[in-house]
Amino acid sequence: MFTKAKQNMNDDVIVYQRKGKVKEIWRRYKKNKGAMIGLIMLVIIAALLIFGPLLVPYDLAITQNSSLMLKGPSSEHIFGNDGFGRDIFARIIYGGRTSVAIALIATVASCIVGSILGAVAGYFGKAVDNVIMRALDIFMSVPDILFTMAVVYALGASFTNLIVALTLAYFTNYVRLVRSEVLTLSEQDYIEASSAGGATSFRIILSHIIPNAVGVIIINTTLNVAKIIIYESTLSFLGLGMPAPQPEWGQMLSEAREFMRNAPHMMLFPTLAIVIIACAINLVGDGLRDSLDPRLKS
Amino acid sequence: MKRRKLFAVLLSAVMVMSVLVGCGGDGSSGSSGETADDTIYLRLMSPLESTDWQQTSTLEGNKITYVQLFEGLYGIDESEGGYYNLLAKDVDISDDGLTYTIELVDATFQNGDTVTADDVVFSYEMAMNNAKFGYVTSMIDTVTAQDDKTVVITLKYPYSAIDHTFFTVKITSQREYEEIVDGGGTFGTAPHKAGTGPYYVEEYDVASGVKLTAYEDYWQGAPDIKHVEYRVIAEDAAAVIAYENGELDYITDAPLTEWENIESAAGDRCELVPANDIQFLAINYKSESNNGILSNPKVREAIFYAINKDDIVLSSTTGYGSPAYEYMLPEYVPTSPNADDGGFKTYDYDEDAAHQCLLDAGFTEEEIEAGIPVGTILTYPSDNSPKGKAAVVIQENLRKNGMIAEVEIKEASPGTIDMYNQNYDMAVYSDSGNYDYNNIRQQLDSESTGMYIVSYKDDNNTFDWQYMEDLIDKGVAVTDTEERVGIYTELWDYVMNTQTILPLYHSAVGIAWSDRIDVSAINPTYYHLTDMSWA
Amino acid sequence: MYKYIIKRLLFLIPTVIGVTFIIYFIMNITPGDPGRAILGSGVSQADVDAYNHAIGYDLPFLQKFINYLENMFLHGDFGISYVTKQPVFNEIWPRYITTIELAFLGMIVSTVIGIPLGIYAAVKQYSATDTVASLISFLLAAVPTFVLGLVLLFCFSLKLNLLPSYGIPDWTGYIMPTLAIAIPIAAQNFRFTKSSMLDSIRQDYVRTARAKGATERTVVWKHVLKNALLPVITQIGLNLGLLLCGAVVAEQIFSVQGIGSLIVDRITQKDEPVIIAGTILISICFTIVMLLVDIIYAFIDPRIRAKYTKKRG
Repeated sequence: MFTKAKQNMNDDVIVYQRKGKVKEIWRRYKKNKGAMIGLIMLVIIAALLIFGPLLVPYDLAITQNSSLMLKGPSSEHIFGNDGFGRDIFARIIYGGRTSVAIALIATVASCIVGSILGAVAGYFGKAVDNVIMRALDIFMSVPDILFTMAVVYALGASFTNLIVALTLAYFTNYVRLVRSEVLTLSEQDYIEASSAGGATSFRIILSHIIPNAVGVIIINTTLNVAKIIIYESTLSFLGLGMPAPQPEWGQMLSEAREFMRNAPHMMLFPTLAIVIIACAINLVGDGLRDSLDPRLKS
Repeated sequence: MKRRKLFAVLLSAVMVMSVLVGCGGDGSSGSSGETADDTIYLRLMSPLESTDWQQTSTLEGNKITYVQLFEGLYGIDESEGGYYNLLAKDVDISDDGLTYTIELVDATFQNGDTVTADDVVFSYEMAMNNAKFGYVTSMIDTVTAQDDKTVVITLKYPYSAIDHTFFTVKITSQREYEEIVDGGGTFGTAPHKAGTGPYYVEEYDVASGVKLTAYEDYWQGAPDIKHVEYRVIAEDAAAVIAYENGELDYITDAPLTEWENIESAAGDRCELVPANDIQFLAINYKSESNNGILSNPKVREAIFYAINKDDIVLSSTTGYGSPAYEYMLPEYVPTSPNADDGGFKTYDYDEDAAHQCLLDAGFTEEEIEAGIPVGTILTYPSDNSPKGKAAVVIQENLRKNGMIAEVEIKEASPGTIDMYNQNYDMAVYSDSGNYDYNNIRQQLDSESTGMYIVSYKDDNNTFDWQYMEDLIDKGVAVTDTEERVGIYTELWDYVMNTQTILPLYHSAVGIAWSDRIDVSAINPTYYHLTDMSWA
Repeated sequence: MYKYIIKRLLFLIPTVIGVTFIIYFIMNITPGDPGRAILGSGVSQADVDAYNHAIGYDLPFLQKFINYLENMFLHGDFGISYVTKQPVFNEIWPRYITTIELAFLGMIVSTVIGIPLGIYAAVKQYSATDTVASLISFLLAAVPTFVLGLVLLFCFSLKLNLLPSYGIPDWTGYIMPTLAIAIPIAAQNFRFTKSSMLDSIRQDYVRTARAKGATERTVVWKHVLKNALLPVITQIGLNLGLLLCGAVVAEQIFSVQGIGSLIVDRITQKDEPVIIAGTILISICFTIVMLLVDIIYAFIDPRIRAKYTKKRG
């Protein structure tokens, strides 16, 4: 059903080879102002998250101080302190590491699971396709939140289990996406040629179809990371997020909820963090889509 | 081509139509915003599950069914800490404490029927057959009607906490109940007039709220306020705003993080009272985590000294609660040991003592410096709940004192079951609504079921559980208050010296009301609509 | 075409069975039981077990699943809530109506805001309006719903005292929940429409049309728009489908009694009948909306239509 849209959009995507094209893509990417701003933002954020621990000791993120409870930003604590008197800046740095790591791993995992299913469905077609896609239709009509709650209640809230839960919620997108790519691509001549030449189906999927669908997958993966970071905060709101006291952005937001009136800074900074990173990722994603799209060459 | 377009247009039209129908259909999900003059508005945090007192399982629900709709033989006087006669006019207790002869007041059910001894028998038998009420009815042997107005209740053994049973079991009209059930209905799923309380249910919508109407012939006199409407407000922030905007007339259990805002809006029409509850830390001395480190009494003592109750009070109750030493607040439970009178061991934050305990337990300075893993603190129901916050503060307290603990926060049901099944290292648990110290039995007696978190009976006889149970039995059998305080102080001192249960804090309940009404009595748990009147 | 529709509608049956199975499976692996939830913590395990037995909760999950299907398909009986003892649809219907109202309102508002702005931004690319709208949509799409909800609540109920702080007493009660639902989707629609429009503008036939001397207005309205809006319709449909699953966060913050919060609340109480019936209803609505989208789509896009009239669906 809604694969049709994607199909339509990508009808004209010309199959590009990886070698030599990277340079071409980068040339096009550079020309896009927004995309470059996004990239720079992303690099800065990445640097902060990766090297932040060199500047801010972890102790600062978990040390409580009852005399600093709910204090607003000050020169010592630039983002202020939370309901336990912990330093919000340090918690943003360490929370970001957790949030982004969860989002990245869950995205990659759902991408792998979804791509494999999608490729198999698209390539084999007929019965296999039917079984996979109908099962997926049923799966999709159950609200995501039920799966997430099931995983979290059954296994407990932890880093790994959250990734499992998020993967369950997000892999379906990739199945449809990759399937429709495969359907378009498998009508291309060279696939038919190698199929006629006796290559096994698995090899065809691996060596031709997946690499050719990579562009679309990359764009979606990028955008997905942003979506998951936002979704994590919904999970925390429902009490399904990362367990205390390890900081995580969504959890910081849900902690801030009851203090919103008296200590709005507690909500402001994690929200800003999420908004900034999501914007940066979306800018880069959009930029990638434009530069991977050959129609823009002119 | 044209036909196709037409079809698409038609389909879109159908979709739009369904919206209009959906929107215009009915506004049943809420009622009109204007505040009618003879109605007051209260908040429900979650929908009322039932109009039957046996079915409501949340305190939210009980606040309506236990007090406003139905009445028991006894009522609870929360501010004075005791029970008073309600539907029981006169109670005669036999010398062996086994037979209670109860004369009933002249009261009528909301359907107009007179309350008879048969209704009481009917109601008690219902409760005795309901596992949910086993904890208050298991000691009852028989309930019989001596005549129209006299009921005789015999017990299997003397039980001084029977008052709580007389409060909990509500008298229900047998005729009304049976008419509903015989008609194929389920009692509690619809409005009824089967209680003797001052209000009956006028309208009941399981999703959005309840409307109560005053029972004009209420045996203690018609209530002043004729109509009460409860509305479900899930979000605390929204409830506070609703109060400030005059959309709510009475708010109890107000979020303490917003108490300042409520106070400034309410002026002197608000009050903060101690909650009748206890949050405590339990340590499972049988836990095998970290080579059974918690079986070492010195380690448990170190944990107790390392915990700063003031920090917990600040984080969990925004500073409005109070550090706890007893299991029950003496203000509400006259038979409780009282820390002010001494007589039992207490623990206060003491870094040096904690450190010394760890050294005594055989750990070196280096090990303490590096942090000794002591296990996981389990609690429920969420990170941002007072208990969740307490666990996080304790974790930090321990860390500052050379001990490393994890925090695990579960949903209420799996969390408490883990605790009851002794499947934990340390647990933050809470108990509430106790008006008699006999309830300590639930927590300390090896025969008790549910709520039993530290199991004192084990194969190695680590503790003298027999001694504890003897003291409980003695306390339950005695009726003299002072004597019971003595026995229970001895018991609590023993419990404190096992270093297994550490009372953390008592919370606070914030109550505020609008300028439309006056409130004559403040109760931390069960408010009475009859205490409210027009200003 | 009609064959296709009937086929898709018939697929509702396996969907219902599959959804029921999934929920029973989920309930089976999550801890807790209704007996404990209803009787409370002061009751012995034996009593809890007896309660669970009495309501048939302790049967093996496959048997429960089959019994449920039997009751549902043969007797039209969806069961009685464990928690409230009400027939499940007494609870579900009023809430689902609220959910449907909010879903359609959310869809309409997000479409009315997002799509015209998206079209405008694409036609006037790099204009001030485009830049501002793009920037705002980027920001709004990234704000978590509950933050947005709380901000709305504080602005309109607390500071301005214009809108009711909870529930839906009259039409004003719809405003904030609808906005909280619609704003992120409007932002998404805006971006989607814009990029879809830009894609279309770059197509060869647009160049051809321009070369042929068609006015800019004709080009946009006749050629670009028609093609660009095809994927947008799918997007709207998908969003509507998701909204029909309930908006837990908005329901919670604005105390709106919708289906999402009902299901989430009852999961902790293990109220299987309500959860299953609610989810079945959701999945049926979701499937039907998706079908409608496909049908509309097929009638607008001749290429797709050709596919259906051939053979494969």
